[in-house]
Amino acid sequence: MNFPLSFWDISLWLAVTAIILLITSELISPYYGKTNILINKKRLNHTALAMGILFLITVAIRIYGIITSP
Amino acid sequence: MSKNKQIKTAQTSHKTRPVLHKITPTKLVSWFLLALGLTALAFSIIYTSSILAFIGLGLTFWGALTLYITTEEYVKQTLLDHTITPSLVALNQILTELKYQGKPIYLPPKYLKDFETTKIYIPKNTNTNLPTPEEIQQQENKTFLKNPEASLITPPGISLSKLLEQTLGTSFTKVKLENLQENLSKLFIEDLEIAENIEIQTKPTRVAQKMADSISVIQLKNDTIQVKITNSIYKDLCKEARKLTHICGSIGCPICSAVACAIAKASGKPVTIEKTESTEDGKVIEAYYRIIEE
Repeated sequence: MNFPLSFWDISLWLAVTAIILLITSELISPYYGKTNILINKKRLNHTALAMGILFLITVAIRIYGIITSP
Repeated sequence: MSKNKQIKTAQTSHKTRPVLHKITPTKLVSWFLLALGLTALAFSIIYTSSILAFIGLGLTFWGALTLYITTEEYVKQTLLDHTITPSLVALNQILTELKYQGKPIYLPPKYLKDFETTKIYIPKNTNTNLPTPEEIQQQENKTFLKNPEASLITPPGISLSKLLEQTLGTSFTKVKLENLQENLSKLFIEDLEIAENIEIQTKPTRVAQKMADSISVIQLKNDTIQVKITNSIYKDLCKEARKLTHICGSIGCPICSAVACAIAKASGKPVTIEKTESTEDGKVIEAYYRIIEE
């Protein structure tokens, strides 16, 4: 009973999610008129940035691993 | 039932009831996604399936995200109009009854003891000169002033103006008039979503200044500011305010008043609303402000 995803799988998932969220948060209209789903644009933007930073951290770990490996 | 028992029953009925959180379809879907995601994650561990793990991770993330980004409370726009209109009607009635004919002037903070506020000075008669800051400060706490007869009231947009400052993180007194367009655009469109668009244009007016008997110099003065607001949340209120003579085009509806407060604070000079124009449907509001040279 092990978690089936490796560190690099998670990294790839983070990259894809971060791209989707960053594009959505940038393209979302600041004025979205009458709608039933009310989105807090700031929170969406913050989440997108957090995901992007998390992905960059995994990249940094990867680079560190390459540099320090004999 | 005894009198004491009756009072007790009345008190019990006035007790604050626990707030019931409304379960919206969006929240329901979010919780469902979250639960489904967590279940998929659990099964992925049991069966060691990477596909189930990806599905679970995705569903859990989007479920949590939709819960997080839709948590702000909103009220319907119609409530806004119905709560503000009566106070504007009352203000208009008072000024009509008291026969105030002078042009309302938005005073910058230097006219008041509190350096973070603005007030409207309404002279009783036309052609009355604006008193000095010291003269107004002496009677600041009064609503009706004497010598000259005038009224000193709180602008209908003062609270909105303070909210704009709070969101901006600084006072308009620290913002330059030239940067006001940039700041107000961000506040109105992105931060508070008050309007779809806001344009501020400074219109120079020609002032002839006599240098000598035969020489006169034409000087340009940026004293008229045109503000065009498109599709604001106050459009219906603005349509209603058009019927009120003392409000539309003089004191201004809350949105025009808030902009007037911002201009008065940024310029540090008294400001008047010269005129306001709006389209039939109220979608485009154009307000003209004039900065009074002291």
